[in-house]
Amino acid sequence: MKPGEKLRYERPYLKKLNAGMMNKSGTPGVAKITKEIEGVPVRDLVEQYGSPLFVLSEKQIRRNYQSAVRAFQTRYPSVQFAWSYKTNYLNAVCNIFHQEGSWAEVVSGFEYRKALGNGVSGAHILFNGPAKQKKDLLLAVENNSLLHIDNLDELYLLLEVCEATGKKPRVAIRVNMDTGVYPVWDRFGFNYENNDAWSVLTKIVRSGKMQLVGLHCHIGTFMLSVEAYRIATSKMCDLAARCGKLLNNTIQYIDLGGGFPSTNTLKGAYLPGVDTVPTIDDFAEVITGTILGYGFSQEELPMLVMECGRVLIDDAGYLLGTIAANKRLSDGRPSIIVDFGVNTLFTAFWYDHLITPAQETNAPVENMAIYGPLCMNIDVIRESVNLPVMTPGDKVVVHKVGAYNMTQWMQFITTRPAIVLIGDNRQVHLVRLAETLEYLEMPEIMPSHLKLKQTD
Amino acid sequence: MKAKAKFVAESILHSYAILFFSQHSVFGALLLLVTFLSPIAGASGLIAVLLSMAISVLLNCHRESARMGIYSFNPLLFGLGLGAFYQLNAAFIVWLLVGSLLVTIISVALGAFFCRYNFPLLSFPFVIGFWLLLLSANSIYHMGLKQVNSAVLNELFAPGKDSGFNVPLLCCRFTLPHYTSLFFRALSAVIFQNSAITGFVIAAGVFIHSRIQFSLMVLSFSAACLINGVTGIYPEGISYYHLGANVMMVSGALGCFFFIPSGRTYLWSVIVIPLTFLLINGMTKVFWGFDLPILSLPFSLLTILFISFFRQRAPGGKLQLTLLQHYSPERNLYQQLTNSNRLSDLEFLKISLPFMGSWTVSQGYDGDITHRSAWGKALDFVIVDDDGKTYQLPGAEPQDFYCYNKPVLACADGTIAEVSDHIDDNPIGVINEVENWGNSIVIKHAEGLYSQVSHLKKNSAKVKRGDFVRQGDIIGHCGNSGRSPEPHLHFQLQATPYIGSTTISYPFAWYLGKNHGKNKLFSFDIPEEGTVLSPISINRSLKHAFNFHPGYTASLLAQNHNTEQLEVFIDPWNHTYILSKTTGAAAYFINNGSSFYFTSYYGNRNSLLFSFYLSAYRIVFTADPDLTITDTYPLQASFNKPVLWLHDLIAPFKQLMKLTYQGKCIANSEHIEILATQNLDVMGRNTQTMAASIQITNKVINHISIKLNGRLTEIKWASESAY
Repeated sequence: MKPGEKLRYERPYLKKLNAGMMNKSGTPGVAKITKEIEGVPVRDLVEQYGSPLFVLSEKQIRRNYQSAVRAFQTRYPSVQFAWSYKTNYLNAVCNIFHQEGSWAEVVSGFEYRKALGNGVSGAHILFNGPAKQKKDLLLAVENNSLLHIDNLDELYLLLEVCEATGKKPRVAIRVNMDTGVYPVWDRFGFNYENNDAWSVLTKIVRSGKMQLVGLHCHIGTFMLSVEAYRIATSKMCDLAARCGKLLNNTIQYIDLGGGFPSTNTLKGAYLPGVDTVPTIDDFAEVITGTILGYGFSQEELPMLVMECGRVLIDDAGYLLGTIAANKRLSDGRPSIIVDFGVNTLFTAFWYDHLITPAQETNAPVENMAIYGPLCMNIDVIRESVNLPVMTPGDKVVVHKVGAYNMTQWMQFITTRPAIVLIGDNRQVHLVRLAETLEYLEMPEIMPSHLKLKQTD
Repeated sequence: MKAKAKFVAESILHSYAILFFSQHSVFGALLLLVTFLSPIAGASGLIAVLLSMAISVLLNCHRESARMGIYSFNPLLFGLGLGAFYQLNAAFIVWLLVGSLLVTIISVALGAFFCRYNFPLLSFPFVIGFWLLLLSANSIYHMGLKQVNSAVLNELFAPGKDSGFNVPLLCCRFTLPHYTSLFFRALSAVIFQNSAITGFVIAAGVFIHSRIQFSLMVLSFSAACLINGVTGIYPEGISYYHLGANVMMVSGALGCFFFIPSGRTYLWSVIVIPLTFLLINGMTKVFWGFDLPILSLPFSLLTILFISFFRQRAPGGKLQLTLLQHYSPERNLYQQLTNSNRLSDLEFLKISLPFMGSWTVSQGYDGDITHRSAWGKALDFVIVDDDGKTYQLPGAEPQDFYCYNKPVLACADGTIAEVSDHIDDNPIGVINEVENWGNSIVIKHAEGLYSQVSHLKKNSAKVKRGDFVRQGDIIGHCGNSGRSPEPHLHFQLQATPYIGSTTISYPFAWYLGKNHGKNKLFSFDIPEEGTVLSPISINRSLKHAFNFHPGYTASLLAQNHNTEQLEVFIDPWNHTYILSKTTGAAAYFINNGSSFYFTSYYGNRNSLLFSFYLSAYRIVFTADPDLTITDTYPLQASFNKPVLWLHDLIAPFKQLMKLTYQGKCIANSEHIEILATQNLDVMGRNTQTMAASIQITNKVINHISIKLNGRLTEIKWASESAY
């Protein structure tokens, strides 16, 4: 506290005194406080870049990536990661992964061009997605990318492209299967159990117009069971072995997709995510163990491709926000209104995000609701959370927001905030400017008859 | 037909050149030419060579030996000797043919006998044959041979007399200084002449063949004259014959031919001079009684004596015998210098890292924690993250450690010799000193070579005693049993099959070591403490492209070149080589599963195979773009002859030139390009002498472009072998 500065105002409160022994409800929660991120004070960040503000930690991203690579590479001789663009395709983020050696996994022409723009070699782009456009396929074939075929119509379209260009693209198919986790994601790719996948593989090899190099599956998202991966891996190995034996076509890689959970807590989960989700080592153990135990010879072992997204970045992202108002609800419960809504924090629909105050406080912890600034009833950040009582202007930090928010956020009612990346030595890099009115209106075209007359 | 003519021409020229330990055709031709300065001797020498070749070829003797002139140089000496000392008459022709036949038979038979003990044939057959002839001619039997001039023979009988005799045909109009003339005449003595002109031509030939041998001849000549001048052993000067045929030949043989030339061999080639005197004098006395000149017997005996003597030393001496004879002292030297670091594949069994991914050496050889005394040559491995930690928080349980429960691999093929699997993993910070080694597996790779991994996880062993494992098979999991306060993998090589045997120092065949964030390739090296190691990730397309088995054939097409047919063969010593059937050039290579490299090249340098030899000098089957492969060529691959010839003269003492190879691999899915450069470094001045690119598409080489000597050659590589 600087000399001459006034003491902070703390609003008065009443609290029931609990005397006697501790009961089964435990002690009243002591709130964790997050005053700084990677050594940079939250208050400084907000002062400089505005509120709300997304903050990413480069160090944490690299740490996550390296530990994932370590988990797989110390268990399997040939592993390749491909950064799932949709999780966070901020160019700065993508390039951190590419610097670390990751390929790119894209699901649209837009993402494909983004990856090319980031300098990824065409041969290192995996092109997924259920609705690839012809012009995108052409581009990908020209760039020798890996095409993961999702449906028969796409296969026919690709055959046309092959005939038109005379090229033999490298392809894989997406396979869906029953892994014991329901509902089965059978809307993507070809089914394993009903032999759709096998018949398509046969079609591809017999066509002679493309090179079948891989098999791809992505069995779900936020998977909480490693067992599902054991089943998936084993079914993929079976397909790969059959391709080798029956079609005389060696499968060069098996792509197990992603779907590993971060340590966020899903809505409705009984226990917090940190205590329940399997670690990446658990998944790696099961996946690599299944392939190594399947019976391939060392020379035949396919490369293992992983398209992890969420698990590599979720805990490297933070959202900083400011309390706009306090409000007591009709039932007497307290609530606070913050300056970011579900338009900015999209994942608030899925997770009970951990939210911590960014300044010291002696205020008692109360159960409250957190609402966003939108005048929409759905704009709820947390329905029920224990936090110390705060006053307008106070800052909060939302944790583990690195995945999907910076791609699924909506420009709705408010503009989207800036994003900063904290690099080495606490250096803060602004990696995306806060949106402005001009930016948003730039693509708009006003028909001349609708222009309002200037009044002098 | 063309091949036969080539064989005959080569054999004839080699028979002459090999008199001076050379296979240089130009030198051979020069010698052939100067023998005809004495026409009868020249003709009888050539007849003897042709006869001996006809015999050895018709009777199917070892063809390569015949081609190298090994069977015919002794008959050549016999023919030259006969022609020099006897008059041409009917008997002369008869005895020339009979004698040549005898010397050829002795050469083949004695050669095989000597070969068994790995000794050279030298001029023993000639000495035996010529002695028999002389004894017969001087005997009571009627041989019909008439001596030309007894003075020539007198010369041979008297080591201490320089008669200054000149073959009458040659009159030298120049007056040379005495010692210069003596030097040249001494050289001419080897072909039984006494002519400065012959000697001069031979000297030029020796210089073309080898600068090192030339320098040694000058050195030994000067030293011999000096020693005689000081001691006065031969008051009338040393005989030019013994100077040439014995003193200078012994020096050449010991100084640069049978030994790798170095300061030490130069010293020995001087030390051997008084020994040669002793042999010449002593033996002359002995054989005087039989009326026999000792010819070049002292040279032959001393050479065998020294080779045998130096072979008896413990290995690792600085004076090195020539193991692989290239018939060129320069080549022997340069090949030896480069190969001393390159041929570890032939010396060691290939030991790979016993794990997958990146691990760090936490305790190296002779580490100060537990790798002590006889157990010092061991390595401990852990996995370390970017922050230098070996565990994730809280680090209180073995499971928190990155290396715990990670697969441990067999480092090479072998049979499981010992397994222990029942010892509990320790809690963190506790050590089990009773069962010091913890759970361990010992694999027998070869007689006297075992590997041991220790501190494995309880019940993690996947193998049992007697199982055969292949390199890379998972044999267990890393744990924390035995004397292990935190999970780590202990690895050692040993000569005996027990858990806890004493260790031996043995290198890993190859690994990537990370230093300052950049990967570097190590080959046959022992990692130091703190190094981050990872296995090489093999690019299968690249590996396939260089998978040349015997029987592999390819055609090389280039503008302004004949189409060259290549085929891969294997020689009787189990070495693989690519033969250009068109040019006869051969390039020996080793493919050890993770790299392909050439070991030597023989033959015409205009062959397209030579371009391939230079551009694919070392290929490592990995497509890591950060990795630069470096290697050193033997200097004879240099095209800068004037500088190289100057360098040859000092090469035995100091290397001022270096010819280096740098290779980089750029992989783009099915298309791989290898960019190679050659740089010549002369005393720190670096110039690029070659730039090449090898294109690999769909797992096969299909194009090489090489810029050499400022000339760009585009080579299309068409492989016919499909497998």
